[in-house]
Amino acid sequence: MPEGILCNRTPINTKEQLDAVLADKGGKQYYQEMEHLDVDVEKLQKTLQDTCKSRIRTWLEMCAHCGLCADSCFFYLANKKDPTQVPSYKIITTLGKIIEKNGNVDTAHMIKCMDTAWGKCTCCNRCGSFCPYGIDMGVMFSYLRGLCFSQGFVPWEMKIGSGMHRVFRAQMDVTPEDWVETCEWMVEEQQDEWPGLEIPVDKEGADILYTVNAREPKHYPEDIAEAAILFHIAGENWTVPSIGWEQTSLTMFAGDWEGCKMQVQTVFDAIERLKPKRVLGTECGHAHRGTVVEGPYWVGREDGRPPVPYIHYVEWLAEALRTGKIKIDPDKRIKVPVTLQDSCNYVRNHGLKDVTREIMSYIVEPGYFIEMYPNKEYNFCCGGGGGLNGIGRYRQWRNTGMKVKRDQIIATGAKLVIAPCHNCWDAIRDLEEVYEIGIKWSFLKPLIIKMAIIPDHLKPQEEEEE
Amino acid sequence: MYNFITGPLLWITFIIFFGGLTVRVVLYIRGLDWRLDRVAYRKYPALGIKGALSSIFHWLIPFGSHGWRAKPLYTIIFFIFHIGLVVTPLFLVGHAIILKERWGIDWPTIPMLLADALTIGVMVTAVFIAIRRIGLPEVRILTTAYDYFLLVLTVLPFFSGFMAAHQFGDYVFWNYTHILSGMALLIAIPFTKLFHVVGYFLSRAQLGMDFGIKRAYKAKGGFAW
Repeated sequence: MPEGILCNRTPINTKEQLDAVLADKGGKQYYQEMEHLDVDVEKLQKTLQDTCKSRIRTWLEMCAHCGLCADSCFFYLANKKDPTQVPSYKIITTLGKIIEKNGNVDTAHMIKCMDTAWGKCTCCNRCGSFCPYGIDMGVMFSYLRGLCFSQGFVPWEMKIGSGMHRVFRAQMDVTPEDWVETCEWMVEEQQDEWPGLEIPVDKEGADILYTVNAREPKHYPEDIAEAAILFHIAGENWTVPSIGWEQTSLTMFAGDWEGCKMQVQTVFDAIERLKPKRVLGTECGHAHRGTVVEGPYWVGREDGRPPVPYIHYVEWLAEALRTGKIKIDPDKRIKVPVTLQDSCNYVRNHGLKDVTREIMSYIVEPGYFIEMYPNKEYNFCCGGGGGLNGIGRYRQWRNTGMKVKRDQIIATGAKLVIAPCHNCWDAIRDLEEVYEIGIKWSFLKPLIIKMAIIPDHLKPQEEEEE
Repeated sequence: MYNFITGPLLWITFIIFFGGLTVRVVLYIRGLDWRLDRVAYRKYPALGIKGALSSIFHWLIPFGSHGWRAKPLYTIIFFIFHIGLVVTPLFLVGHAIILKERWGIDWPTIPMLLADALTIGVMVTAVFIAIRRIGLPEVRILTTAYDYFLLVLTVLPFFSGFMAAHQFGDYVFWNYTHILSGMALLIAIPFTKLFHVVGYFLSRAQLGMDFGIKRAYKAKGGFAW
């Protein structure tokens, strides 16, 4: 049963392993090794026996082969209705075959499963809402990712992502020290403009515990500053944890079930330690899905809910605008045609469709907000969800898939796309880079800061004296 | 021969049909796992029941869901097919007479003309369903011989019943064909995809609970099917 040095069934658990895989640029050696990675059939059979129960088996058995899921899939539409992109076909020929053969499949089949589960499905779950039987192929692909991961058939970037979480408890190499330093740095940077601005770390009993996406401290620290400024304007009693600050879960995208649990447990431990009234996550879709929607189940919470109410940024922002904690200057409202990207992970998969529209009603000049079609629970994935944005092997497939989102945006005539989700934001940025349709894209935070009315006591002193 | 078929054999058929379906329902529910499915089935009974009923109901009525509204022609064909399949055998005068003669049960019936219309509806829509399987690439790629076999198995009791009722051709032949193919259909249901006669409700209820309890409890009115 040969396993590769880089590509094998063992998850990355040490910095050394992580560095070794990272050094293999683009995963060249990694994917070569994968061609020769054997399937551990016994282990696969055991996994199936333990984890594949009546729900998934019934779904696969009962599928009527009616094809009604075809048009629900943006990959199918973007690929000129290629029948091999029909969700049902994709799952039957991959997971379906593994189950039919009770795990007796070969390396080539597992690579096909990997390419399908990550390259032809973003686990957006849209197909599930179009199946008369309620067969959710996104759920099954997510499960298939777990089987692939346990056998070592996982895209290079996902193996690394899972390793990052296991080593750093974050999707990127950001240590607790790096994180706290970044927060301090952001506070310093903003002092001239925002005297008294704070990012309280590890404060017990705060009203809000704030958790982020590791990309923010790593690449977009201004996002953390913006969050702090908005809490400052709103007068919130808030804090961030020094450990357990990372809300995302590339382990979820990777199908690393054990890693999912480790990551969420770290966040929930911070909640237990700091006892906030509630927790608030940044503008990220999968962070919310991973930690708030699915996370409680991974750590075995029978109530399926986090230890305290855990809300998405859009829920807090809508509330802050509704209650007047943050007031918008009517003259500064958005006056260009603008549309909204509904994130699959917290709209279709957590029902947060109304609060984002409530936010639009406060920040967009009447007449300038245009809905995409379809939208809300039925919105199409941005094209880069489920980790697809980050996987080099499927870059071309992703770019093709993004055509559906591109055409949806063009149809609105909008010049600005508000995307309160890191993945969607990335995909729309890349979409503009690839297709050049002349749009801008933004998170909510920078927009709100530009249009919020700043209470006098928060303004820099010199300005007042002048 | 006739007495054996409509006597012990019929009983065996019913036992397999109802027994088989009962076993499947029990096994399905026992196989649900709150941790693996990541749905806290027991913790939120009100949300769960509401979600399950909404999920079943919207898909049970024509054009009741986004999915049905997206495919109007198929929806019409689908509902004509299924309404005929369920209503005709249950309320056929000929079947009610047997119930009355054997056990003295008064069973409601539908007019013969309606039964004929429904039966023709089943047969015509079955042809459409077969043509759809051949004609649409996204359906063709999924279709197997097994799908056609099940379609024939399902329609045969209706076709043969129609022939017998109207005395087209050899009555005895068509009547036996009708009875035996009807039994074959009932026996096949628990062991094939046709298990969806109960599986539909189970699967829709499960996903409805998933959305009711977990994935859409924050949406006003639950998931908008």
